[in-house]
Amino acid sequence: MATTTSDLPALGADDGPDAWFEALADVARGEADRLAALGIADFRLLVEVASETDTARYGIVLDGYDVTVTHRLGPQEASSFDAVLRGETASWQELIENILANGGADIAHSLNALSIAGWPLQLSSDDPVGRDKFFRYAETLQALFDGISRVRSTRSPTTVREP
Amino acid sequence: MTANALDVGYLERLKQGQLDLGWLRGPTGEWGVHAKPSKVGLTLRDIATGSYGEVPDVATARSMAPRGSAIDPDMPDLGYTINSKAEVWSDNVMELYEEAVSRQWSATRDIPWTELPELDPDLEHAMSQLCTVLSEVEMVASDFPAKWLWRINHQFVEAKMFLCTQCMDEARHTEVFRKRALANGGGLGQAKSVVERFLALILDAESYDEGSALMHLLGEGIVLSLFRAGELIAPSPVEKRIFRLCMQDEARHVAYGTMHLRFRLNEDPSLAEDYHAYLDRGEDIISMLFSTPEVVEPTAILLAGSVEAATQMGASGSDVVRRQIIEEYFQRCEHAGLPRRHRTKLPAVLLEGTDAVGSGAGTGVPTGA
Repeated sequence: MATTTSDLPALGADDGPDAWFEALADVARGEADRLAALGIADFRLLVEVASETDTARYGIVLDGYDVTVTHRLGPQEASSFDAVLRGETASWQELIENILANGGADIAHSLNALSIAGWPLQLSSDDPVGRDKFFRYAETLQALFDGISRVRSTRSPTTVREP
Repeated sequence: MTANALDVGYLERLKQGQLDLGWLRGPTGEWGVHAKPSKVGLTLRDIATGSYGEVPDVATARSMAPRGSAIDPDMPDLGYTINSKAEVWSDNVMELYEEAVSRQWSATRDIPWTELPELDPDLEHAMSQLCTVLSEVEMVASDFPAKWLWRINHQFVEAKMFLCTQCMDEARHTEVFRKRALANGGGLGQAKSVVERFLALILDAESYDEGSALMHLLGEGIVLSLFRAGELIAPSPVEKRIFRLCMQDEARHVAYGTMHLRFRLNEDPSLAEDYHAYLDRGEDIISMLFSTPEVVEPTAILLAGSVEAATQMGASGSDVVRRQIIEEYFQRCEHAGLPRRHRTKLPAVLLEGTDAVGSGAGTGVPTGA
């Protein structure tokens, strides 16, 4: 008997932000070689998922060839980032749905396309060079997000036993 | 014996096994240094140690000899005209070089050319026209650094190396946009004299300071925003990938330009007025691009999805891009220590929707028009 991730159900867009970013962390770990092949980077992006009552914050850290996605950050942890990418939960959910449906974001749902007009995602930074890193590493960031189409749900039971 | 003469006596002694060994027994230079690789490998920053790692404010030699080496007293002067660090340096230049080398891509291999879909003829025309403009302007960002590279003292070699990567990046951009224009039935479109006038301003710059401000900060800042817009309006995943990859490269060049200007002004704040004058001239010409149909309309049509839709939208779609281009440019200037919002020569009509409106800046019509 063995546990195989392919037995797990697919990530659902309605699983919520913690599951989405856990999935991104899985991509960062499981597809590290593919992401590293896109080149070295140096960027700390804070992602904010805003609901009416709460803002969930996660960090995406590109450090050399390594990509790390954090768990939900507390208020004290959400500092020292180069830039912030903020959007409402529904906007992020639409992005996740689109990636899952198409095996990657379609041309209308890339991170740049969704943030260029300041809506539905807003990119901000006090430091324009820090903000521009969002463009300098656009391929890596998009590949990271597109990778969640290949990740299985983390909401499902942690082990599935083969017969 | 002159330095250029063949030392026959040495060759005779060498035949008899009498090695000179002056280089071995003499100055030890960096003997004993052990630069340690960091997590991505052995970087320029890692080897910037000991006397090699000391980048002088003013070059101490005029040769291609590496810093840290023992230099012959009769070394010829290679004629460098840029001999102070502040003229070319930026605090991020070593990292940008490593990043550029690491993130290279191929316009032949990495673009899925066979997946180009047939487009509505108007959209194909628009994409081809946009690619014509971009292919025309991109190579200036190779030509300008190439013009100045040999004048930059070799003791600032990291800056030279970064500029070499920029030359390669821009050659690839020129390549990829020509390929796109010629790959899907559209062909090359209209080239405009106003575009060439801005390129000439960069190429004819009398100093690296002037050309870098015009190119790295103003020109490439605008092109970076155009690439972002291109990624947004791409009619297929093929163009999407083209613009995204170009965007990465361009952002590196802008990062150098911004941080170089910051370094330059930090070392010599009295130069601020000179830089303002350079950008005054650049803004005067570049503002005309915003009223050039061959530059503005392809983007508007691709954004709207058709000529009819673009007609209905008017300037509202391209206004988003315009505001973003100008706002980001002002932000970079401020970060570099050269606030332009109250000084800009951009006409008022182009400043609508930005924080510069109402500052008294801009007179409505470019003076160079």
